This record gives sequence, structure tokens and C-alpha cells, in this order.
Amino acid sequence: MNIDDDVKKIFIEAFPAISESDFEWDKLQKDYDDWDSFAQLNIITLAEAKFEITFSDDEVTSISSAKNLLDCIKSHL
Amino acid sequence: MNTIADFLNHSYMANPDKIAIVDDNSKLTYHELNQKVISFSSFLNKFPQNSIISLLFDNTIESVIAYLGIINSGCIGHLIPTRISQSNLVQQISSAKSKLVLSSNKNFSKISEIESNNIEKLRFSEIEKTSSDVRNPRSSDYAYLIYTSGTTSSPKGVPVTHSSCVFTTGNIVETLQYSKDDVNVLPLPLSHSFGLGCLHTSLFVGSTLILQKTTDVSEILSSIKNYNANTLAAIPSTLSKMTSGGFEESLNMLSDLRLIITNSTFFPPETIKKLKKILKKGKVATYYGLTEASRSTFMIFDDDEKIESVGKPCKGTSLKIVSNNEESSIGEIWIRGHNVIEKYWDEEHTKANLSDGWLKTGDLGKIENKFLYILGRIDDLINISGEKVYPQEIERVVKVLSGIDDVVAVPMRHESFGQVVKLFVKKSVNSNISKTEILAYCIKNLERFKVPAKIEFVEDFPRTDYGKIKRFMLK
Repeated sequence: MNIDDDVKKIFIEAFPAISESDFEWDKLQKDYDDWDSFAQLNIITLAEAKFEITFSDDEVTSISSAKNLLDCIKSHL
Repeated sequence: MNTIADFLNHSYMANPDKIAIVDDNSKLTYHELNQKVISFSSFLNKFPQNSIISLLFDNTIESVIAYLGIINSGCIGHLIPTRISQSNLVQQISSAKSKLVLSSNKNFSKISEIESNNIEKLRFSEIEKTSSDVRNPRSSDYAYLIYTSGTTSSPKGVPVTHSSCVFTTGNIVETLQYSKDDVNVLPLPLSHSFGLGCLHTSLFVGSTLILQKTTDVSEILSSIKNYNANTLAAIPSTLSKMTSGGFEESLNMLSDLRLIITNSTFFPPETIKKLKKILKKGKVATYYGLTEASRSTFMIFDDDEKIESVGKPCKGTSLKIVSNNEESSIGEIWIRGHNVIEKYWDEEHTKANLSDGWLKTGDLGKIENKFLYILGRIDDLINISGEKVYPQEIERVVKVLSGIDDVVAVPMRHESFGQVVKLFVKKSVNSNISKTEILAYCIKNLERFKVPAKIEFVEDFPRTDYGKIKRFMLK
């Protein structure tokens, strides 16, 4: 599995209501019904566990789409 | 009966030739046990009454003779778990102000290292009959001293009187219908209130007690078969291990038991259901209690609806839930009754934990339709943006996953939420479970704010001398 697939999986796990066909890289946080601050925490935790990285506080607050997350992860690898 | 010494006297007089106690190597009738106890206690008459005598023994007949010898001589038995660390051992002996420390040959090296000119240190085999004087304890005297395990703080000395033991033992016998015909298998240390209560109960009714040194499931099952036992007292983890697979062919040895009793730590409902299915007619029961308030409630699992309850208060015991929030039915459990200690060994703990006869347990609970439910420890609560989360709630969800041996949830500081959940996970042998699998499962099965923000795999957890996890060391 490549990084893109892993990030997509993280989003599908973090938002169980989203199916693979609903997934969009550029969909923003405000367009998700249930992307609140705790969902943000869940996404970050999943990503940190999956890629064994630690995000900075600035990175944590800046992630607002799947694309953002992917770029952020890539910058750590 | 007014004292623990009366338990033995009464059963010896009623049935002198009945087997009282059995261990790996030998067995004693009530007559033989009584003779050995009298002989042993004569040696202790050189110490003033109410002197503290510390004991460091495994579950053996020797340990029972030594304990009852101390009781018979009017001294106080300070019971020490054999897994104790050297520093804790030194601390306990110093705090208790022991006059004599006694041990089995096997454990003597531990006590021989204690540096003190004022304390006598002896092996059990070195005790000889020295006089024929008989001293009797009074019901108001302390019978034993146990230091609490210290899962949340430093150990506290808990002295328990004979009258409190008589009260508690009477409640156990009445509620769980113990009789002289019982043969009881005991894989619990006598240095702990649960195991010691089982010894008292067996002596009280004049039944037979089979001492196990370990919680090895095969050995427990063999003892039940070999001695035709009809009751078993064990901690929940032993019972869960027994029913979790690997012992299917031997579990029919449990089917004729009339009683399986466990204690107040979380008892998985699946284990209760499995045990009930195995037992032909027998009962599965639990109790809630602390060393400071032994056997405060009992629960006999007849009704699956209340399977997570620890039952109703015993006769002569009152419970109340104390909360700062008037609208909440959840709060700290306070206990009052004859089973509650009058004071701790150290005054500072008395002031902090006892008030007008009420013991502040530090446990969180609720009472529904007169049944008590334990929710965790106050100190362990995780406060996430004002939401109070019980770690046990998270742990129960995660423990269901295969590949996990044990988990502990603790609070972790967080900039935005104040606290979030950190999860320590001990994986099973050969388990490949990943952190993301655990997280994904948590997201599906917990509210979002309860999902761990960090997971750490550990080889094992820091534990007390009784084997309980020291949560405060993980925070």
C-alpha cells in the first residue's frame, strides 16, 4: 500500500460514515458533518501511529483536508 | 463466638478428626491443628499481648499455624505478601513496629537482610514450645494488620479487630451458605483480605481448606478433582483464564461445585455467563470490599440483568454515594458498619479517610434499585474538556480485541482539552495487532472524545506486591 492509500484509509477509519466512493482529497473540514476537534485528534493520532511520526502543534491545527494531511505526512518521511 | 481463636476451638471441639487444612505436602485434622497452634502460641507468650508479629509465608500449613498461634497468644498478626519488594518490606516492618518477624525457610533470606537490633527474626522451624500458659485475645483486640496494596498511593496499615472479623465471617457464612461439609479450594494468598477471609470462614464452620500456592489453572482443577472440592474462591483473572480456552476438557471438573466466589475487581460478564453454564447447580458470586471494610456487599449472579453489579449491602452495613454534584447519581462510595475499621495504623490516614464511622473508599459508584455498581477509582477519572471518563469504560472495549493481554487507560495532558486518553497496551504473545487497528476499533466503538490520543505498547505494567497494576505510575 502506498502513502496515498494509507491516508485515504485513515480518513475512512476516522469517519466511518464515509465510503470509498465519497472520499475527496480536497474536501475541507468545514464540509464534513462530523469533523470536530475530537475528530481532528483522531485523524492525527491515526496518522502518527501509522507513520510513526509526531506532528508539531502548528501542523496539527493546519490540517483541514485529506490533501493537507498527505502533504504534512510526506514532509516527515 | 467472639474471636478468631474461638473459630478453631469450636471446630476442634465439634469435629476433632475432620481434615482442617491441606497443602502441597501434608494435611492436618482439627485436633492436630489445634495442638500445633497451642504449642506455637506458647512461644509467643514472652511478648506482651497486642505485640505485632510479622509473617512472611507462602500458602502453607505452617503459615496457618503461625497466624493462629499469634491469634491464640493475644498478639497481632502482620501479614506480608511474599512478592513484596525489599524496600516495602523494610518500610512495613518499621511502620508496624514489629517485635518479631517470622518466615518460612524459603523466605528467610528476605527478612535476614533487615537491619535492626530491636527485631527478632526467626524461621518457623526454630519455634519451640516454651510454656503451657494460655492467653486469650479479647474481641476488641486487633487480630491482624495488613498494608493496603498501594494501587493509587503509598500503602496504608489497616488493623482489623476480632469483633470485626467475627461479624464479617458470620455474614460470609450466612450469605454464601458455607457449612462443615464444604471442601474449599483456595488459590489466594492468606496475606490478602480475600484469602484470609476464606481461611476464617473455613475455620468458623469447620470445613476443609485446600491451600494452593499459585493460581495455576491446571493445579486448581486437579485439586478440585482430587479432593472432591465443592467451592472455589479465586480472583476474576484466574476465572477468566480458566474459561478463555485451553482448558475445555478439564472444565467439567468445575461442574459439581456449589459455589465460585470472586472479588470486586471487574468481573467480565462473559466469564460469569460461561461459569454459570458450566455449573450444574452451583452459584457464581462476587463481593465488594476493601481491607478496611471487608465484604461490604455480596452479589449472587442469578439475574443476568444485574450482571455488572457487585450486589447489595450486607446485614449491618450501610452504603451511600457522596457527590459534589447534587444532580449526579454517581459519586464516591462511603461505607459504614461493623466491618469497617475504627482507625488506620497511622493517624494521618484516619483523618483523611474516616469520618463519623464512614469509610471514604475512593471508589466511584452508583446505586440502582438498591444494587451497587463500581465505576472505577476517583483518582483515575480522566477529565476531557469537562467530560468525566472512566478508564475502565475504555479498557473494557479494547480488551475485547484479540491479540491483547491487558490495557490501562490513563489521563494525558493536552493543550486544548485539558486531558485526553493515553492507552498502554500489553500484547499477547505472538500478537501482530497494530496501533492503527486498535484506534480504528476505538473510533467505531467509543465516543470520539474517549478515543485514545496516544497508544504505547508495553512488555508489562508496574504492579504492587499483590499483582495489581499501579496506575499512578503510568500517569
